[in-house]
Amino acid sequence: MQHLRRSGDDAFDFEELFDTAPCGFVVTDGDGALLRANRTFAAWIGQSPDILRGRRFPDLLTKPAKIFYETHFAPTLRIRGRLDEIALEIIDADGRKHPVFVNAIESDGARDRGRQIRFALFMATERRGYERGLAEARDKAEAMIVSERADSDLREQFIAILGHDLRNPLASIGSGVRLLEKESLSDRGRTVVSLMAGSVVRATVLIDNVLDFARGRLGGGITLARDDREPLEPVLRQVVAELRSISPDQPIEAEYALVEPIPCDRMRIGQLLSNLLGNALTHGAKDQPVRVEASTSQDELVIAVTNGGDPIDPDALKRLFQPFFRGHDRVRQGLGLGLHIASEIARAHGGTLVARSDAVATTFVFTMPLARSEDNVAK
Amino acid sequence: MTNATISTILIVEDEPLVRMHGIDILEEAGFAVIEAGDADEALDILSAGASVQLIFSDVDMPGSMDGLELAWLVHQRWPCIHLLLTSGHHRLEKAQLPIAGLFLPKPWTSESLTDVVRDFAGR
Repeated sequence: MQHLRRSGDDAFDFEELFDTAPCGFVVTDGDGALLRANRTFAAWIGQSPDILRGRRFPDLLTKPAKIFYETHFAPTLRIRGRLDEIALEIIDADGRKHPVFVNAIESDGARDRGRQIRFALFMATERRGYERGLAEARDKAEAMIVSERADSDLREQFIAILGHDLRNPLASIGSGVRLLEKESLSDRGRTVVSLMAGSVVRATVLIDNVLDFARGRLGGGITLARDDREPLEPVLRQVVAELRSISPDQPIEAEYALVEPIPCDRMRIGQLLSNLLGNALTHGAKDQPVRVEASTSQDELVIAVTNGGDPIDPDALKRLFQPFFRGHDRVRQGLGLGLHIASEIARAHGGTLVARSDAVATTFVFTMPLARSEDNVAK
Repeated sequence: MTNATISTILIVEDEPLVRMHGIDILEEAGFAVIEAGDADEALDILSAGASVQLIFSDVDMPGSMDGLELAWLVHQRWPCIHLLLTSGHHRLEKAQLPIAGLFLPKPWTSESLTDVVRDFAGR
């Protein structure tokens, strides 16, 4: 039989290989008329290989695939001589469509045979199903992103309104306290008013931290309003004054060596100092003063807050700036947001916040680089 | 815009205690103060012919308009009145205010408020 060929010691049945291959094989002449089709392909089409002979290959495709074949596939194959992984669709005798992937190669007219096109076809139903699934999943994901953005807009609005509604009554009480301070009061009255002022400060700090945290988690991060037209020092002094009024029994020593202007968000730096000081007052030794040192050098702003007392253990030191980290102080806890917010403020300013702790003292140092203009260098 | 000194200030603020506090600070600094609880009240007062040289208004207020809208309206109808806006919650840029308007963030101190008002008077 002419289809057997000797290759070494084994004879190989190429005809059987062709006919029963796990893909469709089709050979056409240069015009696309079928010269030969294997049984696999014939079974897909639902006609015997003999009946298929003479039919044009494009006639076995669905209409859109046929148009694509005539306008793109065939001309490109003619030029390139080879086409791979083209998606087509064949239509069987019952009219059912089957997606296929096609590789085709031209063999030039040699050996008085004329030009031939050889096709290898692979069923693509699974693959198309998979591609459709991917497209659907992508569409769903896009729809989810749109709806999540809408949700996050709502949340952002909610936080803005919440902040406003929480701060208003507090501001009102704060104003009331200032007014009462001007009245003539008994000693007891003075104490009460002073304590009320302290509570207002604490509540304000808490609201600011919580809202910042909520907003930050939504991906907004801490936004800044940098302003070097107003000096920073009065803001820092004000923060120290407020915290002194809350903790009258704990001495706070403060040293300022600031050269203005300092481009930063003053309110945020104030908030950072407030959170660090609050932390020092809460966790530091009550019988040792808390020290605040704020200074500028040629190229940086440094604010350091130091307290005495038990050192922070190295494990805790690593996690100090994470949200909700609360340490092991049994008595006073709090939300665990103050240091996290402070570190976020530091970051937003392009600076760093680090903590050092040993048996002598615990110090938090905020460092922010300053881009000095030429005229300030002389100072 | 005249260079008249400021003698009467109209304060517009919906929180009663905050308004009282503002009135207190300004009166102590030597100004006469008229009060309004929202923009509509403020407009009634101005339309009735009250002589006012500066409006000190909160931004967020209930009523038909907020403080910023009030500022623009006043600027149109009574361009000689100085405009000072305040808020605990928005931070307004100069560009958002009518010409020569100023913004003072809350919370104000006695100094910060009187300083900025005297700023207007010095112009």
